[in-house]
Amino acid sequence: MSERKTEDETLQSTVADHQSRQPQELGPNSVIGRRLKAYYDDVASEPVPDRFLLLLDALDQAESGSSSDRG
Amino acid sequence: MTQDLEFRRELISIIPNLRAFAASLAGSFDRADDLVQETLVKAWDKQHTFQPGTNLKAWLFTILRNEFYTQMRKKGREVQDVDGIHAMQMAGHPEQQGHLDLQDFRKALDQLPDDQREALILIGASGFSYEEAAEICQCAVGTIKSRVSRARTRIADLLGIQGDGEYGPDSISSQIIGVAPAA
Repeated sequence: MSERKTEDETLQSTVADHQSRQPQELGPNSVIGRRLKAYYDDVASEPVPDRFLLLLDALDQAESGSSSDRG
Repeated sequence: MTQDLEFRRELISIIPNLRAFAASLAGSFDRADDLVQETLVKAWDKQHTFQPGTNLKAWLFTILRNEFYTQMRKKGREVQDVDGIHAMQMAGHPEQQGHLDLQDFRKALDQLPDDQREALILIGASGFSYEEAAEICQCAVGTIKSRVSRARTRIADLLGIQGDGEYGPDSISSQIIGVAPAA
C-alpha cells in the first residue's frame, strides 16, 4: 500500500517535470476536470463537417491554379 | 505537393479540437464554425511561416484565438448574448440527462471572465501544457496557472462541488472508506 503510494508520487513528479503536462487538479480524479472534458468532447467528437473539407479543396485548387498561371 | 497534402491532413485532424475551442470562446456553433473557417483560410495563407516539427495544434489555436479577439474588438460586446445563444445551441440536442449536465456546466463557464475560461479549456480539455497555453495566450506561465486556479474555484462554487481534487486521490479514497491515511 505505502509502496504503491510512493510509486504514484514518483510518477506524478515525473509528469510535472515534463512541461507540467496534464495538471493533476483537472485530471480524472477531479469532478470539474471530468465535466470539462465531457463538455469539450461533446463538440470535439463530432465528425469534421463537409464545409471544411470543401474549403480546403478550394484553397488547394486556388493555389495550384495560381501557380500554373505563373509557370 | 506532398508537403501540402501532409499539411492538409494534419489540419483536418485538428479541426475537431479547433471547433470545441471556438465553441467555448464564441458560445454558438454557427459563430464557432465561422471562426474555424477564418482560421483555416489564414493558416493556409500563412503555412509557409509555420515551422515543420513545431506544434501545429498550438499554432492553429493561436490563430483562432487572435481572430476571435479581433472580431470581438470590431463588433464590440454585442456578442455577449450568451443565454439566448446557448438556448438555441442546445435546442438541437435531444433532451438527455447528459446534455442537461453539459448545459449546467456551460452556464457556469459563461460566468467566468474570458481569460479564465480560455485558460481552463486549454489546460483542462485541449490538453496543452501550461507553457503551451502561455504561448497561445501571450502571457506568463504563472498567469495561466493563476487563471486556471481561479477558474476552478469559481466553477466549484457555482456548481456546489466541494474539495474537488484538492487533496489528491489518496485522501479522497480514504475519506470514502472512512479511514485516515496511514501516518
